[in-house]
Amino acid sequence: MNDAIISVANLEFAFKRKKVFQGLNVIFAQGESVVIAGRNGAGKSTLLRCLAGVYLPDRGEVRLAAGLERRRIGYISDSLSLFEDWPLERAIAFHVRTFGAAAFDDRLLKNLGLSGRERIRQLSAGERVIFHLSLILSQQPELLLIDEILHLIDPYIRELFIDALIESMASRPVTVLMVNHTFNDIERIPERIMIMDGGGFILDESAETLPQKVKKIVFRGDVPAGLPCLFVRESGHIRECFVYPFGKGLSRRFSGQFQDIGLAEIIKAFIGGAYAQKRVD
Amino acid sequence: MNLNIDSKSPLPAYQQVSQSLRLEIVSGRLREGDQLPSIRDLARLLRLNPNTVAKAYYTLEQEGFIAGRSGSGSWVTYKPGRSDALRRAMLEDEFRGFLQKAMALGFGAADIKKIVARFVNHE
Repeated sequence: MNDAIISVANLEFAFKRKKVFQGLNVIFAQGESVVIAGRNGAGKSTLLRCLAGVYLPDRGEVRLAAGLERRRIGYISDSLSLFEDWPLERAIAFHVRTFGAAAFDDRLLKNLGLSGRERIRQLSAGERVIFHLSLILSQQPELLLIDEILHLIDPYIRELFIDALIESMASRPVTVLMVNHTFNDIERIPERIMIMDGGGFILDESAETLPQKVKKIVFRGDVPAGLPCLFVRESGHIRECFVYPFGKGLSRRFSGQFQDIGLAEIIKAFIGGAYAQKRVD
Repeated sequence: MNLNIDSKSPLPAYQQVSQSLRLEIVSGRLREGDQLPSIRDLARLLRLNPNTVAKAYYTLEQEGFIAGRSGSGSWVTYKPGRSDALRRAMLEDEFRGFLQKAMALGFGAADIKKIVARFVNHE
């Protein structure tokens, strides 16, 4: 593994009485792309905000790699704190000045037919995301924190966003941490899959090996005992069982009935499993 | 070029990329001297992490299918027909998958031979 670009040590954080983290530890490596998934309220967005410096930890710390400047950390979320009445041009000039950005690339805005004279409040949700991304990319970020925005934007703008993301990853070393619900378009981008629940990680696997460890098997009637079921989806008397960890031994016992599933479905199964666990607790 | 990434396949994406490029090269659809798309362009086209494409290209370089110079792209260096063993191995790989499906459907060797003969003769 490469050196850490950002890490969290014994992080404690609470909103008034609701404790989100009680001693969280995690390390993110230079140059990796990570997706953090989990059910609502799991703590994903709060973690990203702690990493971005938007929230300060109650205890513990967020450590940046030596040489990583704050202005090289780009944080993109749906609650964009932009000056609503400013024309885009003015916000761009301000941003470039504040962050000492070299140049502003307006190709994405042109692609949406924006001239720069529009005011921020006139932008649609998708246009805002693209505008914010353009601002962030002008900072030449070394760390990109992307907080649940893909589901807000239409498929065309989502493609623009993903293209721009891939482009920037190909141009210079950048670490990408995404918090996400929508996987269909991006499932081949993350190299590391993490699932958060109750303020901790319940899964941390490489995207390359995870699909070999999670399989689906369908039963009519009851699920046989001894199968490590992550999550069971019922429909009438049909049971769809998501198995983790999957191994050769299981394959012999239930010959040839295991199905491969994609990352999007794998992640859904883990989140479903987290809800099921919560119901039991 | 015919490159498809199956998001349901448990095969890592870089292996899917290198496998489909290998197929393009061995089949002669990509020829010696042809230039491959840049890592950035292929990553955008297939919506992959650029690291994934780089890993696929690196694998193909190690195997002698392509050669790359940093900053100036990658070229096909493999002459088709140089190795029949490789083409045969790829065919056998495909065939193994087909056989497994046929057997799961309950067909035996005799049935499969008959079907293969019929297809070869008529289609």
